[in-house]
Amino acid sequence: MKINKNKSEQMKQPGTDSWKTIVKGSFVFVLLIIVVVILSVVKQDAGGIFSRGHFLNWDGSIVNLLRNSVPIVTICGGFTLLIISGYIDLSVGSTLSLSAVIYAIMLLNGFGFFVAFILTLIFGGVLGFINGFLVTKLRITPVIATLITLSLYKGIARLLVAPGVRAIESGGGKTMPDWINNYGRTEFLKLDLPLAFFVAIAVIVILVILQKKSVLGKYSVAIGGNKLAAKLSGINVDKIVWILYILVGVLCALAAIARASYMSLGDPAAGEGMELDVIIAVLLGGTVFAGGEGSITKSVAGAFIIMCLTSGLMTVLQPYWQLFLKGTVLVLAVTLNSLLVKEKAVI
Amino acid sequence: MQNSIDKNAGMNKSLGTSKISSESFITICMLAVLVLLFGIACLFVPNFYFAQNIINLVTNSWYIIVLGIGVTFLLVTGNFDMSVSGIIAMSGVMSVYLSQAATNSRSVLNNGLGMPYVWVIIIPLIASLAIGAINAFFVTKLKVASIIVTLGTMAVARGIAQVITTGSQRNTNLPEIFGKLGNITVVGSIKLAVFIMILFVIIAVLIEKRTVFGRRTYLIGANIQAARLSGVNVEKHVTILYLTSALLAGIVGVLLSSEYISGSSSRAMGLEFDALVIVLLGGTSIAGGFGSVSGAVIGALILSVVTSSATGLLLRPEWQFILKGAVTFIAIIAQRYALDRRKI
Repeated sequence: MKINKNKSEQMKQPGTDSWKTIVKGSFVFVLLIIVVVILSVVKQDAGGIFSRGHFLNWDGSIVNLLRNSVPIVTICGGFTLLIISGYIDLSVGSTLSLSAVIYAIMLLNGFGFFVAFILTLIFGGVLGFINGFLVTKLRITPVIATLITLSLYKGIARLLVAPGVRAIESGGGKTMPDWINNYGRTEFLKLDLPLAFFVAIAVIVILVILQKKSVLGKYSVAIGGNKLAAKLSGINVDKIVWILYILVGVLCALAAIARASYMSLGDPAAGEGMELDVIIAVLLGGTVFAGGEGSITKSVAGAFIIMCLTSGLMTVLQPYWQLFLKGTVLVLAVTLNSLLVKEKAVI
Repeated sequence: MQNSIDKNAGMNKSLGTSKISSESFITICMLAVLVLLFGIACLFVPNFYFAQNIINLVTNSWYIIVLGIGVTFLLVTGNFDMSVSGIIAMSGVMSVYLSQAATNSRSVLNNGLGMPYVWVIIIPLIASLAIGAINAFFVTKLKVASIIVTLGTMAVARGIAQVITTGSQRNTNLPEIFGKLGNITVVGSIKLAVFIMILFVIIAVLIEKRTVFGRRTYLIGANIQAARLSGVNVEKHVTILYLTSALLAGIVGVLLSSEYISGSSSRAMGLEFDALVIVLLGGTSIAGGFGSVSGAVIGALILSVVTSSATGLLLRPEWQFILKGAVTFIAIIAQRYALDRRKI
């Protein structure tokens, strides 16, 4: 019978593994720097289709990269909190797609920006509410519950688009308003980056403050660390988890508005594969999937790593390498993640 | 004492009370659901009652049932395998690539490796086993959450398929023998693959109900510590399950690309979710320790009835996503309700 190797680690004196803590704490930022450096050194042309020249070219690739990273950065903050509490949401991609479609439909039908914005956010909250309901009230395993909603939302999003048409866009007598790009694409106040980017940064800042200073953050860690102990300490686990799911839903809607605004249409496949990206980002950031610890800033760094890899690699390799590379990165991230944590558990 | 001994004894009736195992109870319930849905479909969907349609319901599900075998065993131990759809694409594409004649045409997708047919089958299967081994390693040795790792290997496998096909598919320059395996009909128009499926199901049910390996699978799922302390080598056991699941997916991939005489990088997209759905429909519990392959077969038939009804009613194909989600949801709630009531 194998003696649990972790036991001997736990019995170490506190303080002797400080080097490990430092590595664990900063490796994702180091990784980000490494990735950026590598990508700027390798500046091969690939068929002349992709942006050439330096990867670190501000007006070309960097602005593009930051603009494209708005959705994943927006979502990964709330997603991290959810993972910290030990729950998962696999439906983020479909929630994003459905919210984008709803937003586009509203715009196409003459809704004003603020009205459409608020309504879409509320809609995202409702989608997250449903997830929370399935998980907390009906006690369905988060994996299965969010797989169910993934399928449901994906189907509804596709159904809302007329058959034969790829996405909700200008056509058939109705056109998208001119200002549609103002949120997600055009420069905000001559700062080269769209408003959506700054909103995403603001969201992250707010969430980091929430995580470190507020009760929500502390309770998430408590629930993730030991759910029963949290419950017995008087934390309303169901309510907190439900709130987190709603938060993720709202953030998905926010990301959806940015994406729809950027592309000028509501694409029901907008969020396809987003869950993979967000999971990779969170894993790279060192958040443990068993819950109990994690950091939003590190997940954001992880998100940028993924974005650098996907758009940076686009300048070097053909697009059909992307899935393979993403998978490899995920597997490597998972290895890194497991090597750096003491307690291992399954969802 | 009497009840607990007989609880897992399949259909045996104990002396005194007539209790069948919970698994058989759920299987029978889902069978009833299948019959009910079939009846409703016959009433509302035009042409549903034709014999050919009924046969199609079974034969069109062959590949998902084969996947369901591997996924059921794994889910019983509490593990996921989401990589199966990627393995199907990968092994299919590899078998096409290996089989394509080694010409030097300008279009890269026309050139293959021109290997003898036996390698065309064996090498993709070995590659599938490799993916299964990676899955097993991460789940057993590194103790990573299986859903995350298998999503990753799914991306790796499908990514390999995408690289080999440069994102589309390979279907030219194939020797005649390539299309034989997937298109041989055995009885009437029923393909060989269906009989392979039936064979696998029979073997799987026998293993599940009558062998020590099968019982150990359930023990691992029900109480992993008890399994370890009873001397079960859990790591080895789960590794075998992952290898089997990957091998089954590889076989499906080779057969499918033989049937369609093409290797597409987008084949079986989303099939891992369907496989999970039928396994859940069949009564396998995600908590582990409970479920059966026969349930997965019934689950596959239920899904088949639902999707072909949707097609028959001329609903848009996008409805399938909604229907699958709804059906899974209802199944989970209903099964939990039925089992809770039964225990009272």
